[in-house]
Amino acid sequence: MNKKLAAILCTSLAWQAFPARAATGLEGVSLSGFLTAGATYADKQLLTNSNAVSQDGSIENTPGFTADSRLGVQISAKVNSDVSLTAQLLAKAREDNSNTKVDWAFVTYRVNDPVSIRAGKLKFPSFLISDYYEVGYAYPWIRPPQEVYSLNPIAVQNGVDVLAKFRFSDLTLLLQPYYGTSRGATTIAPQETLSALGQPAGSVYSVGFTTDEYRGINVSLSSDIFTARLGYLTTRVNASSLGVFHDTAKFASAGITMDWHNVVFYSEVAKREIDGSANFAFPNQKASYATLGYRFGKWLPLYTTARISDNDNPKTLLGTPLKQSSKTLGLRYEVGSGAALKFEAQKITPEKGTRGLLIANPNGATVRDKGDDVMFYGITIDVVF
Amino acid sequence: MKTLKQFWAALFMIFLWAGSAPAYAALAVIVHPSNSMSGISADQAADIYLAKVGVFPNGKRAIPVDQASNNAARKKFYSAVIKKEESALRVYWSKLLFTGKGQPPREIGDDADLKSWVASNPDAIGYVDGKFVDSTVKVLLIIP
Repeated sequence: MNKKLAAILCTSLAWQAFPARAATGLEGVSLSGFLTAGATYADKQLLTNSNAVSQDGSIENTPGFTADSRLGVQISAKVNSDVSLTAQLLAKAREDNSNTKVDWAFVTYRVNDPVSIRAGKLKFPSFLISDYYEVGYAYPWIRPPQEVYSLNPIAVQNGVDVLAKFRFSDLTLLLQPYYGTSRGATTIAPQETLSALGQPAGSVYSVGFTTDEYRGINVSLSSDIFTARLGYLTTRVNASSLGVFHDTAKFASAGITMDWHNVVFYSEVAKREIDGSANFAFPNQKASYATLGYRFGKWLPLYTTARISDNDNPKTLLGTPLKQSSKTLGLRYEVGSGAALKFEAQKITPEKGTRGLLIANPNGATVRDKGDDVMFYGITIDVVF
Repeated sequence: MKTLKQFWAALFMIFLWAGSAPAYAALAVIVHPSNSMSGISADQAADIYLAKVGVFPNGKRAIPVDQASNNAARKKFYSAVIKKEESALRVYWSKLLFTGKGQPPREIGDDADLKSWVASNPDAIGYVDGKFVDSTVKVLLIIP
């Protein structure tokens, strides 16, 4: 309700701003957005009474349209030459048939040319593309490799960050320290916790959680050809339904992306360590991926290999680390400027008897199509405006 | 048969040349007359237009403005100075815009509109077809 109210408030504020600025040709106010419309299909049924195949249930053993479809609208307003406001509304098809929520809402204060401070509702970058995860047009895959990107379910924080950019000839160094808290967020309860929560196996069940002292730093070095980054963050997690209070979670990551003479390359490594009873639901894991593509004019075929595995999980705790590898063949086609069509075929192999990032282990499937691998197929169109 | 093909090819080339002729006019990168800079390199201008820096090389605030997307001056400026393909540029701006890290330059109409906007904004930088230049603006770079 609060979120809805905020969305309405933001929208009405924006509309009030328009007529006021209309006389000056909308000076200082800009409206932009992005949209992804997509369809998915998984080739195997994993549960007797459900089509759900991915662990969040969004990719199913039936043609589905909710896994990737979403719309974002952004309003930016300049208050004066040093202060600006940004609000982004996001509607994801997988959440209650596209309920709108405020994904970003912050004020930027430009201290001087290299340094800005931002405060409000922000997305801090755990990984290379975390902060534009929803903008499909800005990256080559349909979904960023889930092995890495599922490690941190905490996307949005209320807090403050600093963007400090330094130029060294052709290189830009970005230092971005951040601090925040999160209230009222939910994440999908891992299948392994469902019996403790009194839920039947195979359900897609959300648990609420909060985070305190969410703090970290994002350091990136970029040129026209590449971006290399390092990130570290630590926070304390609370989830009353799981009996979790003030358990420490740490994330460390490194990544590089390159676009050079039509060669497109992305690679990241990341790990998480979670203490206390939270480790039962979210064990220590590490993950990596590499993507290589070559651009032929408007066509970009690409291949991705990714893996998620155990990160020396303490033996005393009962959490089950999820292990899987995946291989993805993708194709991106530029439809004029500002639109891209993407196709993907992804082979997912759960490992070491775990379900990986699927809702259940395909070997344990009591229905049809037994085997180790599951194929995901996807097609999307991504648009920015 | 072959000569006929060559004839049509030649005719096509003439049309192509005629159609693109206005783009051969020199382009001027302009600022407000109060700007203390005496010149700027194409790379420095590109850094300002791509929001890599927010200031002129002398440290003063720089606010870049664009012409509307189909104008000849804009096409020439982007091919000669920015040197990024249209779709690569859209991806570049998507990453900055939707993470609140930067905004693409504001669009201000055509050569005449842009010149008068630059003439009345001390921090502005823009580009116009050379024949629009007069004493209300200062030229920092000429792109032949």
